[in-house]
Amino acid sequence: MDLSVEIAGLHLANPVLVASGTCGFGEEYAGRVDISRLGGICTKAITLHPRAGNPPPRICETPAGMLNAIGWQNPGLEVFLAEKLPALRAYGVPIIVNVAGETLEEYVELAARLNDADGIAALELNISCPNVECGGMQFGLAPDLTRELVAAVRQATDQVLITKLSPNVTDITALAQAAVDGGSDALSLINTLVGMSIDIQRRRPVLGNITGGLSGPAIRPVAVRMTWQVAEAVEVPIIGMGGIITYEDALEFIMAGASAVAVGTGNFVEPTTAVHVIDGLREYCIQHQIAKITDLVGAARTGG
Amino acid sequence: MLSTSAELAHREQVAPEHYLLTFDCPPIAEQAQPGQFVHLRVSEGLEPLLRRPFSIMNVNIPAGSLQLLFRVVGRGTQILAQAAPGTWFDLLGPLGQPFPVPATTQEVLLVAGGVGVAPLIFLAEALRELPAPCYVRGLFGARTEDDLACWLELSTRCDEFTAATEDGSAGQKGLVTDLLDEQFDRGGVERVYACGPVAMLAEVARQCERRQIACWVSLEQRMACGVGACLGCVIPVRGPGDTRYLRVCQDGPVFPAAQVDWEAMTADLD
Ligand SMILES: Cc1cc2nc3c(=O)[nH]c(=O)nc-3n(C[C@H](O)[C@H](O)[C@H](O)COP(=O)(O)OP(=O)(O)OC[C@H]3O[C@@H](n4cnc5c(N)ncnc54)[C@H](O)[C@@H]3O)c2cc1C
Ligand SMILES: Cc1cc2nc3c(=O)[nH]c(=O)nc-3n(C[C@H](O)[C@H](O)[C@H](O)COP(=O)(O)O)c2cc1C
Ligand code: FES
Repeated sequence: MDLSVEIAGLHLANPVLVASGTCGFGEEYAGRVDISRLGGICTKAITLHPRAGNPPPRICETPAGMLNAIGWQNPGLEVFLAEKLPALRAYGVPIIVNVAGETLEEYVELAARLNDADGIAALELNISCPNVECGGMQFGLAPDLTRELVAAVRQATDQVLITKLSPNVTDITALAQAAVDGGSDALSLINTLVGMSIDIQRRRPVLGNITGGLSGPAIRPVAVRMTWQVAEAVEVPIIGMGGIITYEDALEFIMAGASAVAVGTGNFVEPTTAVHVIDGLREYCIQHQIAKITDLVGAARTGG
Repeated sequence: MLSTSAELAHREQVAPEHYLLTFDCPPIAEQAQPGQFVHLRVSEGLEPLLRRPFSIMNVNIPAGSLQLLFRVVGRGTQILAQAAPGTWFDLLGPLGQPFPVPATTQEVLLVAGGVGVAPLIFLAEALRELPAPCYVRGLFGARTEDDLACWLELSTRCDEFTAATEDGSAGQKGLVTDLLDEQFDRGGVERVYACGPVAMLAEVARQCERRQIACWVSLEQRMACGVGACLGCVIPVRGPGDTRYLRVCQDGPVFPAAQVDWEAMTADLD
């Protein structure tokens, strides 16, 4: 039974990653979760310079989901390279570095400097974060900007380039196509859906940032639909995510056309969620006599 | 930090809207220190989705049990208020930084507001069991007598104890912070530990700063992961330059009061 997958030349021992921003830099879960079993780790968004992030409250529970407005709090590229990356490498799993910037130049500089670093499996271009005033999602909402940004970053890096798409668009396939045209090797989707919640006692928004990104099981049907659409529109591999808690959830994404999946909010519910998803996928394959998990990619499309 | 299943051994209503839960959970009970909390999964399903943080009120190491005291405020605590003994729950813990305790005998003042009494009960016990035991003065304030839940648990662990209620139904009438001046004027207090509503903590911190008495507070914030990974549970801290945020779950919940940016913390209180 073979759970391994290839994402544009990047080999993953199994198709289950942990999603950006939900597992920090790995250290917080070390000793609680056998990190070495994961297919890979997507880091919290890294920016060129340290960022303090948004004022609290930053999270709010919603039906079968949550809103977050963290706002790129991170120690910046220098500290990432000097402290976080060496520690991450020790887990022996592929490290996918999520990068974010306010300008095209920032993305390019980040990519160029990470290109020289050892032990990075891929870059994940975060052009879909809804929680910062400028940059981030603005690049991910217009196909022209997406293509231009991805192309510029492509020039600056030899690493596997994954573009993370926003669901906050009318036609996600147009953005997917633009990212591929710009030279993206793979796509990850979806980032969070913009939402908000109001505290009726205090008569004001719950979140300090007013709006936040919705994640968790509540968004899963939207994410599966978008995975399906994007898989139909482009040829590159897809990393699907949005509300995965169980292996059944992961299979929905895989059968819709994702080559790999990521667990985000599910880590908060139970730190071992991703590991359980891996075990569940293996069980499923054994039970259904599937020789390799890749045989299931897009299975719902072919009626396979 | 452990991730473990624990059986609910006991559920007791200790006051209107206040419940005391006793879990059989030897691994967490053995490791827990006063000020630490557990992150509890209320339901096995998706509703509610996120875990709920609760301070550890007490542990009984020989019995392998720990106790949580909570007030019903929403969906999660409503479910817990009806939880049947024998039910198993998922607990992450012990989490967070504990209250630092003195290495030598000191006179300390505990200031509890409402259900914020929970971690101070555990602390009071620990302070008196230190190799160099402390002299513990306790203050406990609440809106009304009913909200002085578990006051006996605190008072019996203190060398001196005074309660206050806003409506005068028990103890002295007024805010617990109205009692601070008298405590400090009497002299002797070398450190202060406080847990309760933000407005109360800000006032305790202000008075301690003015009198230059070391003070630690236990803070709350909405949490997702509970282990420091999501950066969701931050509070603003003082420092040179730009605003900085620290995580309540990992850097706290106990913070030196002097570190907290009280102005920002109280800016949007009603
Ligand atoms: C470190 C720590 C220790 C705590 N210790 C205790 C304790 O000993 N006893 C006690 O009664 N309460 C304690 N609280 C507060 C307790 O976590 C909340 O009352 C509880 O989460 C409310 O859940 P709910 O579903 O009933 O409320 P809802 O309002 O339905 O909850 C909605 C969401 O908001 C969060 N939330 C609501 N109020 C708070 C709050 N005050 N702090 C943090 N998150 C909140 C919930 O966790 C949930 O994610 C503590 C909080 C923290 C951070
Ligand atoms: C608290 C939190 C922080 C996040 N931070 C980032 C981030 O820094 N960069 C990013 O690309 N996505 C970030 N995301 C989005 C997730 O990686 C993921 O795309 C999204 O949450 C959907 O998956 P889920 O429903 O499994 O959480 C964050 C999500 C959450 C809940
Ligand atoms: S709750 Fe995730 S960092 Fe504190």
